[in-house]
Amino acid sequence: MTLRLGRHEFADDRTLMMAIVNRTPDSFYDKGATWAEDKAFDRVAQVVDEGAEMVDIGGIKAAPGEEIDEVEEKRRVVDFVARVRAAYPSLVISVDTWRASVGDAVCEAGADVLNDAWGGADPALVDVAAKHDVALICTHTGGAVPRTRPYRVEYDDVVRSAIDDTVAYAGRALAAGVARESLVIDPAHDFGKNTFQSLEITRRLGEMVATGWPVLVSLSNKDFVGESLDLPVGERLTGTLAATAVCALAGARIYRVHEVVETRQVVDMVNTIAGRRLPARAIRGLQ
Amino acid sequence: MALVPGVLALLPEHASLVDPVAELRAAAVAAVRWLGPEASVVADAQGERVAAALMDAAGVRRGGSTAYLVVGNGTAKRSEKAPGHLDDRAFAFDSALRDALVAGDLSGVDWSLAEELWASVDGLRRATDLVAGPATVDYDDDPYGVQYWVMRWGS
Repeated sequence: MTLRLGRHEFADDRTLMMAIVNRTPDSFYDKGATWAEDKAFDRVAQVVDEGAEMVDIGGIKAAPGEEIDEVEEKRRVVDFVARVRAAYPSLVISVDTWRASVGDAVCEAGADVLNDAWGGADPALVDVAAKHDVALICTHTGGAVPRTRPYRVEYDDVVRSAIDDTVAYAGRALAAGVARESLVIDPAHDFGKNTFQSLEITRRLGEMVATGWPVLVSLSNKDFVGESLDLPVGERLTGTLAATAVCALAGARIYRVHEVVETRQVVDMVNTIAGRRLPARAIRGLQ
Repeated sequence: MALVPGVLALLPEHASLVDPVAELRAAAVAAVRWLGPEASVVADAQGERVAAALMDAAGVRRGGSTAYLVVGNGTAKRSEKAPGHLDDRAFAFDSALRDALVAGDLSGVDWSLAEELWASVDGLRRATDLVAGPATVDYDDDPYGVQYWVMRWGS
């Protein structure tokens, strides 16, 4: 099925790089590097130059911290979305928010995708997506409250839970009027999950792909990579790319990333090995 | 009659995002189409597959006894990075073979040297009696250290 993300359409065989753009002073990886609006705008220019098809703009870090209310979240992202929309008409703009009111405002400003990293915490978000005919990322958090860390969370079967919850969320969105071709599911590594659970999600990602819904993975520099390799943030790129390769082989479609170029190369290489993508230019031995 | 090189990159199963032999492919398909609705193939086993792919692309059926598609090419030793590495003798050999093809007279070709220089001449050798009169040269290049020609004879 063709994927439709707001005003943009992508054929079945396309994989997409969704570059993270934080309008936060405290996100775990960039630690506020793009907090200033101009720095965030420079980051957009950079990732577009690197070939990202999408940006994911967020105004609140995922981890617990200072309370950011709706007004402040809108102040951080709405005008910025409008500025990016005006500058990059062909770029897919996603906004990382769980709040319907923020979603409504960013869609007015030109967003194409609502990335609900907190799995439907605000039940009205689906109505906003339907109203604006934008895409919705349906994530699995195991019922976690926004901006909380997992604490002794257990599942009978974490993959089953991820499939059931994301597919049910997609069903709610569909019922609310979101277009079928505009729904994406995301197992949400590390959200409501310990490292073993995120590893199992990675290992069994093919089961999520088999649902037929396009799958987004957000692996970039996360703690399950850090704990697997005993490496701090900033030294997790190789581990991230290994996890990316496994997800690519399983058939993930969208990759939410800090490093666009490296991830694109891994995803393209894996899909070429898998026979889903042609080599760029093969002549060796075939002259 | 038309001549195309037996380049495996012309096969659909070896397609790339960017065609490394786009110009050659265009010339070869045009030459095959020029043969008319049907043609017989004169080639070795690999060349047969290349011919089949080009005929598919050109919409030409196999058969008949008036039009021939010959598959063959010059040496594969024309540069340091050529499949057979550089052999300085390749240039003179290809030049002589080209002249012979254009003139329509293959009687003087050194077939044993052809083998030494990795020229694919099985089809050409078998087509010796079919080649007649001057050829039109549509393509003449060695982009990967292998000498390719697309030529047409007759009207």
